[in-house]
Amino acid sequence: MKINKMLFVSEFEELWFDALQSLMGLRKCGLNHVVFLHVIKREKVAMRRGTGFLKQEEVKLKEIADIRFIDWAETLFEEGMEVGAHIAIGNVLPKIISVSEIENVDLIVTAKIERGKFEELYAGSEISELLRRTSKPVLVYNYLSQSNKAGDDPFERLLLALDWSVSSERVLDLVLALSGATKRVEIVHVLSEKEIGKLSKMEAHKLERENKKRLDDVCDIFIKERIDARPHLYIGPTEEQIKKAATEHKSSMIVLGTRKKSIWKEKWAGSIAHSLAENSELPVLIIPAEGS
Amino acid sequence: MAKRVLNVEDDPDIRTFVSTVLEENGYTPIMAKDGEEGIKKVREEKPDLIILDILMPKQSGIKMYHDLKTDDSLKNIPVVMLSGVSRRTFLRSQAALTEFGDETVPEPQAYLEKPVEPEDLAETLKKILG
Repeated sequence: MKINKMLFVSEFEELWFDALQSLMGLRKCGLNHVVFLHVIKREKVAMRRGTGFLKQEEVKLKEIADIRFIDWAETLFEEGMEVGAHIAIGNVLPKIISVSEIENVDLIVTAKIERGKFEELYAGSEISELLRRTSKPVLVYNYLSQSNKAGDDPFERLLLALDWSVSSERVLDLVLALSGATKRVEIVHVLSEKEIGKLSKMEAHKLERENKKRLDDVCDIFIKERIDARPHLYIGPTEEQIKKAATEHKSSMIVLGTRKKSIWKEKWAGSIAHSLAENSELPVLIIPAEGS
Repeated sequence: MAKRVLNVEDDPDIRTFVSTVLEENGYTPIMAKDGEEGIKKVREEKPDLIILDILMPKQSGIKMYHDLKTDDSLKNIPVVMLSGVSRRTFLRSQAALTEFGDETVPEPQAYLEKPVEPEDLAETLKKILG
């Protein structure tokens, strides 16, 4: 798994050129092509009683986006990178999916996408839907978050949360591919209190030992690649513990995979990855389960 | 026989504009909407001139220009750049590609920055194609 081509979705609100520049550490891992996407929401140019379709408004908004993208592209072109751009009208999510497929990108970068409260209650968040509908890694980049301590290079200190599921292997592959941009990886596995509570003291120790051994094995893989890696075993509610670990180890980004679940199961039981993407102030890189 | 001009441009409004200018001046327009389709059309149609935008989906005009000028069978087709990207950036980006181990390429026959007046485009084409 490599990241040569990245789709950068910008609403010109949360993610600006400085956010994109902070991701340029990925060039050390082979990133050489950036595709910009800006989606003008339909309601901004939709039919109005008395005035009809706002063609002039559409032309103006497209022109503004074009001028911004040209400015960004000029900097990247001069650095020898390949750049593409899409400016579209409609709903953000379907456009992200279609452009990521047309361009065959390796990574989608987006800020949180706002949905109305009512829509969110019934249809879930846009990020959750994106994660359900794409098999490509998605970086939810909360660049402007006040408590984001990521600084200029979010790939520098990763917190890798592994649940030992099949998707963990995909996650590992991707993080290894990022080795050029990464200095340190904290590898975390979270055991639930419920899981431990059912076991005898002996069995609990055995489970702890087994997990520590697995964490050590993963660390060895990174150390072979000359990346500083440390194992950590946490106990408690998974999402809360992942956030806690990220704070304790001053991580700049959380990386994790998703499990394949049915839409209804996910809607009602929730997904840790989706919830972290929605709520974490750090950037969250999510690698969807294969076949998503 | 009318000379054939390939316009590689993603914006449908500008494609229509260029197409009209070409037809009014006696050229046959051929259209492509990105660099990937553009290079395919160049190989298939062997146009007499290419009008090339830069910032496009799939493959940029920077990469397409470099591919054209480093291909022995295509490098003699004149290219007019028509873009919102500045000439300075274009030249620097070609230099950057060279820096990364590629061949040096010559400058395009003309560089027009958007928006362009129809008369200026027609005049440029006339100078190159006669």
